[in-house]
Amino acid sequence: MLNINFPKIEKKDYPNLELNLVEPIHKLNLRGKNRDFFTKAGRILSIMLPTEPNTSATIKSISALWLSPDEWMIYGKDIDKNLMLSLDSEISKLNLGSVTDVSDQWVLINMRGKNVFEVLSKGSPFDFNKFKDTKNVTVQTLLNHVDVILHQNDTNNLDLFVRKSFSEHLWLWINDSSRSL
Amino acid sequence: MFIITCPFCGERDQSEFSAGGEAHIIRPKQPTELSDDEWADFLFMRKNIKGVQFERWNHAHGCRKWFNVIRDTSNDKIHAVYKMGEKPPSD
Ligand SMILES: [Zn+2]
Repeated sequence: MLNINFPKIEKKDYPNLELNLVEPIHKLNLRGKNRDFFTKAGRILSIMLPTEPNTSATIKSISALWLSPDEWMIYGKDIDKNLMLSLDSEISKLNLGSVTDVSDQWVLINMRGKNVFEVLSKGSPFDFNKFKDTKNVTVQTLLNHVDVILHQNDTNNLDLFVRKSFSEHLWLWINDSSRSL
Repeated sequence: MFIITCPFCGERDQSEFSAGGEAHIIRPKQPTELSDDEWADFLFMRKNIKGVQFERWNHAHGCRKWFNVIRDTSNDKIHAVYKMGEKPPSD
């Protein structure tokens, strides 16, 4: 598991902006609706899945991002095989919801520094005004016409998920945009 | 360019959405009993109004949910947004 080759992304420093590849890291897609699903997921992950739109919940190093009313992205360094097996046997196998390992589908890039939103605003239709001053928020939007999931852990500290096949292209675009800060 | 309020995510730019055509077209219960003309009517014929129209939209680059929009096609003014399965607002 997680022994795949990642695109050539190396740590980069720009004025008030640091870019890093955060891989390998486990990512799971969780889908479900009913009460049993919420209870089981909450107990296994030790996180109540956030139901408020565009928010996230983090406990220790596992985060749950709201993607839609019945869909979440779970990621973090503390996700191990046991946890994945529990989710699989107690949710997936009982048909309470779906659990999909999307570790290889998404690439995680961390952006931190005062200029994070200066760069994002160059290529996204999303209005970051409220977002940038709020912690534990998440949004799915476009960046340079590419689908991204953004998660602000802390002020000016942002995790960006991009599909693997787009990641090298978006990485180059982010670097181009950062050079002209 | 205009802003659409997704009933799940809130205000977003139009470029995050894709249009799904006219809303509230009901699939015939017994398609096999329809004439070719009636079937073609269900499948292809759309009102395409210049003015206030009921439409389906999908938040393709966000939550990926479908919902309904009442939009004036002549000026892109959005009168209402409501979820799938809900009745359109009466006013
Ligand atoms: Zn949405």
